[in-house]
Amino acid sequence: MGRVKIKRKSTLIDMTAMSDVTVLLLTFFMLTSTFLQKEPVTVKTPSSVSQLAVPASNLVTVLVDPEEHVFISFTGAESMPSDTVRMKVLEQAVATYNKLHKDKPLQLTQAQVQAFSSLSMFGCSFANLPAILSMTPQEQDLAMKPDQPGNMAGIPIDSRKEFQSNPNEFQIWMQAYQTVAQDIKCDVEKPDGTIDKEGTAFDLLRQGKVIAVKADETTPYSVVHVVMDNLQTMKMNRFTLMTSLKENK
Amino acid sequence: MAQIEQSGGGEKKKGAQKKMHIHVDFTPMVDMNMLLITFFMLCTTMLKSQTLNIILPTNEKVEKENQNKAKQSEAFTIIVDSERAESEDGKKPGRILGNYVYYYEGKPGVGEDGVITENNIKEPEQGNGTVNAGVVDQIRDVLRIKNKEVVKQLDELQKEWQAEKISNEEYQKRSKEIISSDKIEDKPVVIIKATPEASFANLVSALDEMQINGINTFQIDNLNHQDSILLKDYLTKHPRKK
Repeated sequence: MGRVKIKRKSTLIDMTAMSDVTVLLLTFFMLTSTFLQKEPVTVKTPSSVSQLAVPASNLVTVLVDPEEHVFISFTGAESMPSDTVRMKVLEQAVATYNKLHKDKPLQLTQAQVQAFSSLSMFGCSFANLPAILSMTPQEQDLAMKPDQPGNMAGIPIDSRKEFQSNPNEFQIWMQAYQTVAQDIKCDVEKPDGTIDKEGTAFDLLRQGKVIAVKADETTPYSVVHVVMDNLQTMKMNRFTLMTSLKENK
Repeated sequence: MAQIEQSGGGEKKKGAQKKMHIHVDFTPMVDMNMLLITFFMLCTTMLKSQTLNIILPTNEKVEKENQNKAKQSEAFTIIVDSERAESEDGKKPGRILGNYVYYYEGKPGVGEDGVITENNIKEPEQGNGTVNAGVVDQIRDVLRIKNKEVVKQLDELQKEWQAEKISNEEYQKRSKEIISSDKIEDKPVVIIKATPEASFANLVSALDEMQINGINTFQIDNLNHQDSILLKDYLTKHPRKK
């Protein structure tokens, strides 16, 4: 009986093809990815059949959580990047705030203004602004989370109507953006389909393409209504609601 | 790892070129790539959110008067509501126990003085009280009948489109024309009202119904005193099933 000879096979597998595939996949993901935006509260947006995409530029997201904490995020455009927009909005808003609070004016250092321009989404009162902006990014995240003890989350909002003479803080921010928007150059699609090269973000705001209200699907209408009512008061009565796509039955 | 193998170790011919087998082990590279792919897959948002356009009337008084002139006989009012559990900590809104939708046609059956003449609130035959949002689907049939002329034309157009007689763009264009056409008579004016407890999802699904049923004229309004009286009266007569 001859012994069965076990052939010694090399266990080396050629990984070159595998490597090719993974590199391709990696390239695809790197190019298509847009990172999840850091938000102080996670919300599940309601589903809708509407298929309008969220614009990538010139977007003001107003996030409102079920306990009426309001957060705002400003996105710029090609002609004016987001950090410049945020800086200008801050400048405008602080100027308005100081006009109303002459006894306790707000003074921000250059470093604090820089810190604000890199904040993607913020939500705190003007009084807390210097404190928040002096923190490290990790501390900022915690300070603006509504479920943390001792947080400073939420832009103060109420349903007052005299936004010209005595605005609330939410109205100050939105007014400031409206002023800045007049200087943001971008292409604007007119109702007849032609594109106006000389347009500004202000025109888009008038068309209702800039402001997006984002709220969780379980949020009571009374809370969403406060935000909508404020926008209505400021004559920004055209806006969008952030939704997710619903599968058509 | 990277190996360079020489073949034919023993006999060497003079002048013959050495054959070199270069073998690089790619396994660590693949490992690393896989890790990176996993990272990108977890961190990306493939699903982009959508938006829903809404236009609210301005708060100015002049416009409000004009609105009220909208023929109340043609008005169709939808009231969305949610039943909530007691709030756990007094701050967070309570858990949703059920979603409800009610509607009435024409004027509310209650006078300015709050005296109910005839309670004309109705609710869909089934579906009210589900926990899932989007209960407003249930009144689609009612809305379709109210807006039958537009719906009929849209359906005909869709048939043509499905038979590939018209192009996609033409379909979009013509359906838009039908929806906004003012030649069609008996188009309803829908007023959407939400109670303070109603969930945001309910409001959005009510707005969705406008789009699905091709209703061009609708508005979001606040629940007024008369509506509250009507709703309260209706609920005492038709208590919600537990």
